[in-house]
Amino acid sequence: MKIRVLQHDPAVHLPQRPGDPTPTSRNLDPLMHPFARARERTRALNAAKMDRMFAKPFIASLEGHVDAVEVLAKQPGSLTTVASGSWDGGVIVHHLARRSRLLHAPQAHKGKVSGVCFSRDGRLFTCGVDRNVKLWSLEGSQTENPQPVTVFSGKSAFNAIDHHNTDPLFATASNLVQIWDETKSLPVSNLTFPTSTETITSVRFNLSETSVLASIGSDRTFTLYDIRTGKAERRVVMQMSSNALSWSPTFPTTVLLASEDHNLYTFDIRHLAAPSQIYKAHVAAVMSCDWAPTGLEFVSGGWDRTVRVWKEGRGHSPEVYHTKRMQRVSSALFTSDARFVLSGSDDGNVRIWKAKAAERLGIVTARERAAIEYRDSLKDRWKMDAEVGRVVRSRHVPRPVYQASKLKRTMLDAQRVKEERRRKHTRAGEAKPKAERKKLVVVEQS
Amino acid sequence: MDALIAKADALGPKQKKRKTFHNTTDDSVKKHTAVPKSLQDKNPVLNVPAHKHIANKKLRTELVRSATHTARAKALLEDAEMLLTEDAGLMQAEGGLERTWRVSQSEILVDAGQDATRGRREWKLDGGPYRSRYTRNGRHLAIVGSMGHASTFDPQTGTLHAELQLQETCRDITFLHDHSHFAVAQKKYVFIYDRDGVELHCLKAHIEPTRLEFLPYHWLLASIGNAGYLKYQDTSTGQLLVEHRTKFGACSAMTQNLHNAVIHLGHQNGCVTLWTPNLPHPAVQLLAHLGPVASVSVDPSTGGRYMATAGRDGAVKVWDCRNWKGAVREWSARGGTPEVEWSARGALAVASGGSVNVYTSPTIQQPMHGSTQPPLYLTHPIPSRPLTSLRFAPFQDVLTIGHAAGLSSILVPGVGEPNFDSTEADPFENRKARREKEVKALLDKIQPDMITLDPELIGSLAPEPKLSTTTTFDGKPAVEIPFARLPRLERLRVQGKADETEVVDPDDTAPDGTKFTKEEKERKKMRGKGKSLKRYLRKQRKNVIDPTAVAIRAKLERQREERKARAKEQAGGEPRKASALDRFAKG
Repeated sequence: MKIRVLQHDPAVHLPQRPGDPTPTSRNLDPLMHPFARARERTRALNAAKMDRMFAKPFIASLEGHVDAVEVLAKQPGSLTTVASGSWDGGVIVHHLARRSRLLHAPQAHKGKVSGVCFSRDGRLFTCGVDRNVKLWSLEGSQTENPQPVTVFSGKSAFNAIDHHNTDPLFATASNLVQIWDETKSLPVSNLTFPTSTETITSVRFNLSETSVLASIGSDRTFTLYDIRTGKAERRVVMQMSSNALSWSPTFPTTVLLASEDHNLYTFDIRHLAAPSQIYKAHVAAVMSCDWAPTGLEFVSGGWDRTVRVWKEGRGHSPEVYHTKRMQRVSSALFTSDARFVLSGSDDGNVRIWKAKAAERLGIVTARERAAIEYRDSLKDRWKMDAEVGRVVRSRHVPRPVYQASKLKRTMLDAQRVKEERRRKHTRAGEAKPKAERKKLVVVEQS
Repeated sequence: MDALIAKADALGPKQKKRKTFHNTTDDSVKKHTAVPKSLQDKNPVLNVPAHKHIANKKLRTELVRSATHTARAKALLEDAEMLLTEDAGLMQAEGGLERTWRVSQSEILVDAGQDATRGRREWKLDGGPYRSRYTRNGRHLAIVGSMGHASTFDPQTGTLHAELQLQETCRDITFLHDHSHFAVAQKKYVFIYDRDGVELHCLKAHIEPTRLEFLPYHWLLASIGNAGYLKYQDTSTGQLLVEHRTKFGACSAMTQNLHNAVIHLGHQNGCVTLWTPNLPHPAVQLLAHLGPVASVSVDPSTGGRYMATAGRDGAVKVWDCRNWKGAVREWSARGGTPEVEWSARGALAVASGGSVNVYTSPTIQQPMHGSTQPPLYLTHPIPSRPLTSLRFAPFQDVLTIGHAAGLSSILVPGVGEPNFDSTEADPFENRKARREKEVKALLDKIQPDMITLDPELIGSLAPEPKLSTTTTFDGKPAVEIPFARLPRLERLRVQGKADETEVVDPDDTAPDGTKFTKEEKERKKMRGKGKSLKRYLRKQRKNVIDPTAVAIRAKLERQREERKARAKEQAGGEPRKASALDRFAKG
């Protein structure tokens, strides 16, 4: 007779010496883990709820401007330096980590400061409606009333400014796009589309194809230029005008437009006939947009007093930030580490937000990191569950925004119904429905 | 010399290979971004469906990715067998004449190891018969005698946690989530004690309880009593969750299915019923025995697929829970009311008369006609009758039997699960681990309304909705139209809110039931009366069902009936039957 009776060796299952970690043993037999799915769902629900509980995105507000903040710009290569320009003509360079000012010029321009940008070597360019571009140096600028290093004067009010990625060149937008050399007092070239009579509202250099730049204008246009050929290459006229544009840092051909029609559009500049993606959530005009340096996310600020953080390729339900006191958001910016979002609004404050609302700042231990990652994957896995999905998706928005979105939905529904009825009563095949993406572009010119 | 070298060079080796075009950028990127060999997948060939029928590229990629993930996880699960380090116990006959059931406890003790022999114990106690219960990790044992002696202790180390003389009839005992709390079914109520035996709660809602069960993943204490009410108490919040009236009278057989948290009850009339908290009636009811059911047990080794029942008539039956048409196997145990209990590896212990018999797994679940007893694995005689409770110790080869003279635990090789999982139940856990586990278990508590017969229901695909948005317009063939695009009436219909009742105008019919023509209707229309009500109803018609409209409609209907009856009476139809209430009529 062969007899063996089960016994556990305590030497294996108990710590050898006091202070040793207790040995654990695993048995992955599903019968050993009853209700595995149900418990995992409970965990996912808890994770989703915790995520919402800890969603406190607002960090700080940087004050100092007397009037509304119009523009924001970050210094390339720096995590902390951000410049803001205001309607009263003041320019402040903030240090984000210390929340102090590196430069404060209360009367940098007469009237609105319409554009700020940094050169690669950290000097600040500002332009205003007083027809001047001013160049500021951040070194030794602790004086009460700093003075610009150089002043470039133009013939008409400037609307935007952007610096070349490598060369000492910058571009300004007024009724035409002008390219300036830092060392020359007059523009080196004027770029304009032949038949254009519009006002250019914004201009941006491409980040990797450095001689290409894009502009948007008041004639509902988006124009591409090349400074090597010195002329406008391509122009697109859309249904409504755009308020801001931003080149993707990782996909050189992708450009993001913040449109007056409440939507954002990404275009592939090789196919300008239709946008590659439509981003719908704002309930008023989108005033500004900026890509995260990863190219996976971007931020937009709108006339509806909200800041929204989007994922690239996901055209709906962005993260939405708002506060009681924040007014129309005229500029929004992603910081260079992709962890924070800045917004400048009509109430004269620059606000710092977390890019991920529930992220914990400060040091995160390895165990905590593992737990966070586990919770994230749980949320992703169970997002189709009705209850978990509801917690993950739902966001509280201010009442006016909520009512506006409801009204907007009703109006769009009514429009659609009307369109369908009209189609029903026209001869078959005459009024075909048009895809949403095909509706945007009116004409493409070259 | 130089000239010579130049001449030699001029010949040069003949180009054998065709020149291939090299993209230098690509090469340099590849060199730095390739996954190192040690990290590359050894067996990347996975049988993953290509999902070619799905047109949406994003969705297809996502599906393929998740299918690959699942397949890889499945493949890795095979490697996880390395984690199972301990061997199960066994008892095997070697010669042709040897029989395992002839082996006595003393022979097993000789072959058992030093630690294993500690499992064989005899506790001689007064105040029996006794019932017992192990914690989920098999470390602690709670015992209670019918005269009121309750105790919890660690049988391996001999540490006594609590010892109580309750001085009244006690019918059952159970640990709650771990050994820090236990509940006792006493004469009138259920009481909860902590580890040291301090009375914490008296659950006055549980009257005259006979059996207790604790559902560990839902934190529910279930009790059944002489009144026949099954009550669920949430021990994490303290609420009495639900009480079900079984309508079967006193009940003294109760067990839980560990894998779906369904409570099995055995009743006086021979019925076995399965209960969940969210159903007011049994989920399953079957007539299992001709007399009262004495004991029920569910097989944990097959995921709760088999159930064993024992009746007062001496019959033991094994049932397949997927198909209730007749028992899989039945036989009769000799010598009185049997008690049954299933072990973690699928051995069935049956205590009847003066002995305990153990049967092993594959044979008791094989269908068999007639009432032959399955081959016996082990038997152990106990002289002190009656044998009232059987409990297998988790993760050990130990069976504890409660009887009139106390308790005795015997060694049954091969019935205990050898490999435990520290995250579920760890016999060697220390105090800190126990506390940690308590908190984790509270966080992972499953809501009681998620208890169903099929535990895989959660997370599976939802069934097709009953409300369909398929509609026919203008006699055209039926088409599926998205909900948002349906006209309003159709939307209401899909939501189940449309008022489908036929519009009945009370002015339409004459008192004798015939329909009026249009002119007649106009002539005989009752003017003025209840006009506003009718206007209200007309507005509500073909609209949302709302309770006020329904009530008003009912009221109008009643008034019409009354009017009709009155008209009939006045017309001198058949006289009304005399009623006792007529004496109160005026005039």
